[in-house]
Amino acid sequence: MLISLLQAIASGVVTGCAYALVALSLVMIYKSTDVINFGGGEMVMIGGYLAMFALLAIGLPYAGAFVFAAVVAFMVGAAFDRVVLDRMLGRALPGQSVLVAMVIATVGLSYVLKGLVRVVPYTEEVRRLAPLFAGDPVFLGPIILQRQDIAIVVIAVLLMRAWWAFFNFTLLGKALRATSQNPRAAALIGIPVRAMRMTIWGIAAIFAAMAGILLGPKLLMTPDMGSVVILAFAAAIVGGFHNLPGCILGGVVLGVVQNLVGLYISSRAIVLTPFVVIMLVLVLRPQGLFGGAVVTKKV
Amino acid sequence: MYGSPSYARLAPLLALVVIGIVLPPLVPQYFLSLGNTLMMYAILAVGLDLLLGWAGQFAFAHIAFYGVGVYGTVLLQSKLGIPFIPGVLIAAALAGLIAFLIAVAAIRLHSVYLALATFAFAESAQWVFNSWEGLTGGADGLRIAPPSVLGWTTGTDARAFPVIAIILALVIGATMYLTRSRLGRSLCAVRDSEHAAAVSGIDVFRTRIWAFVISGTYAGVAGGTFALFQSFVNPEAFGFSQIVLVLSMVVVGGLGTLPGPLIGAVLLGLLPEIMRTAMRGLFVWQELVYGLILILSMMFMPRGIWGLIAARGGRSK
Repeated sequence: MLISLLQAIASGVVTGCAYALVALSLVMIYKSTDVINFGGGEMVMIGGYLAMFALLAIGLPYAGAFVFAAVVAFMVGAAFDRVVLDRMLGRALPGQSVLVAMVIATVGLSYVLKGLVRVVPYTEEVRRLAPLFAGDPVFLGPIILQRQDIAIVVIAVLLMRAWWAFFNFTLLGKALRATSQNPRAAALIGIPVRAMRMTIWGIAAIFAAMAGILLGPKLLMTPDMGSVVILAFAAAIVGGFHNLPGCILGGVVLGVVQNLVGLYISSRAIVLTPFVVIMLVLVLRPQGLFGGAVVTKKV
Repeated sequence: MYGSPSYARLAPLLALVVIGIVLPPLVPQYFLSLGNTLMMYAILAVGLDLLLGWAGQFAFAHIAFYGVGVYGTVLLQSKLGIPFIPGVLIAAALAGLIAFLIAVAAIRLHSVYLALATFAFAESAQWVFNSWEGLTGGADGLRIAPPSVLGWTTGTDARAFPVIAIILALVIGATMYLTRSRLGRSLCAVRDSEHAAAVSGIDVFRTRIWAFVISGTYAGVAGGTFALFQSFVNPEAFGFSQIVLVLSMVVVGGLGTLPGPLIGAVLLGLLPEIMRTAMRGLFVWQELVYGLILILSMMFMPRGIWGLIAARGGRSK
């Protein structure tokens, strides 16, 4: 009993790391542009398919597939901001909010990406990405861990470390943070705010795509796999939606809770987990389990 | 914009009723079936717009209330033998009651939090429809016996058409009165600024809760009309894609206007039909086309089609 509990927690942490990457992507965009990105799930999905394309059609090794997917995802995210959102902001009359329209545009993005993947003949059959690392499972006491599970955690943690260092120690990272905290002040001290916003969208798309590659060997690859985004939304809500470290923890919590529900309640209830978590957290503690006060805009 | 609507504005409603009664013998069954679907979507979209466009509450639970309306009307009829008119009223009231409970639970939430909480509720409701097999038949679905409206048995598209046209006319008329009432103006005030509304003496919480209840009731009524012309229901009709469809009808048509959601319901309701019939070979492209329409209409008409028409005409909405 204890062993199956530990096993469920361990594999929950593994998928939770991937959810955390997606949650980071969502919160990054929300913090800097106020937009809820409903296309986040499809960015995960194209990440997986881009890696599959790189592995099977181009014949790159896994490392190359990561780079290929990251570059293309960055271009997709940045292009969406430049071509669609930036123009919408530019056309808005003073005092007129286009936020709802921008959110609907991200829903449009999700359909466009899903539609594109569906018409590529390459994606007609359901596939699974090759395991990241083949080989015998590792025994950690009584717990059995696949080698690729360890790799998923290591890669996710490395990505988060890189992200943290980028935003804290590089000039570009600091400029990006300044832009998301106060775009107006950032513009006044000479930060090119529009380029920064575009970069944020690109980086957020990279994180979602990386999660797609990590989840690819564990889930079936279908054009609908973007629905994992709801777990990332739940993770972000647990973390407070403003709190980046909180949403990493939230991702891990979600992964574990999902497995515990499957173990102790019923496998049918697994799909319901993120929704119940979202509702419970928002009704009982809207600022998130790790968040501070909710920031509301006055007048 | 307040006071009773002028007769000129109410005339189109009369025209709708007349068309509803005259048209069925004259046009093929396919168009009547399409018309029924579009009118049902129109009721759904108008109801969502009250919450989203007029009251500014970014809530996604509409489809769940619609589901309560469908299953409520059908089950009241089949299990308890309640006729259609009291059945749809009870089902709509039930949808309104559930909307009330959701509103009370979510009253502290705004923007992204409200959107995600209500979205989570809608998805959970769909799960309940799927899992409560004793009542809803689960994924296998439920047969709908043709309901009888004051002795007029619907069930075919031609016989349902006049009834749905009358319901739609009533709903649009009620919306005209509602948006011109004190409550309607309170909704707009709360949308524009809760703080300014509160200092003007508007009870913000109560107004927001009313918005949820009224919008949920509309969705329940739309669910009742579903039972008039469909013979089968399964939980797939209440999923995420339907949420997005009704949401896009409202936003593409024009938030916070009455003609907007009607235009949106007709255009986006027709889209899958056009893709399925006129452009049969392009059916796999459906999602792509739909996504592009959403993105382009938001880029070039962020206030929707009616927003653009109103701006061109130099009228304020």
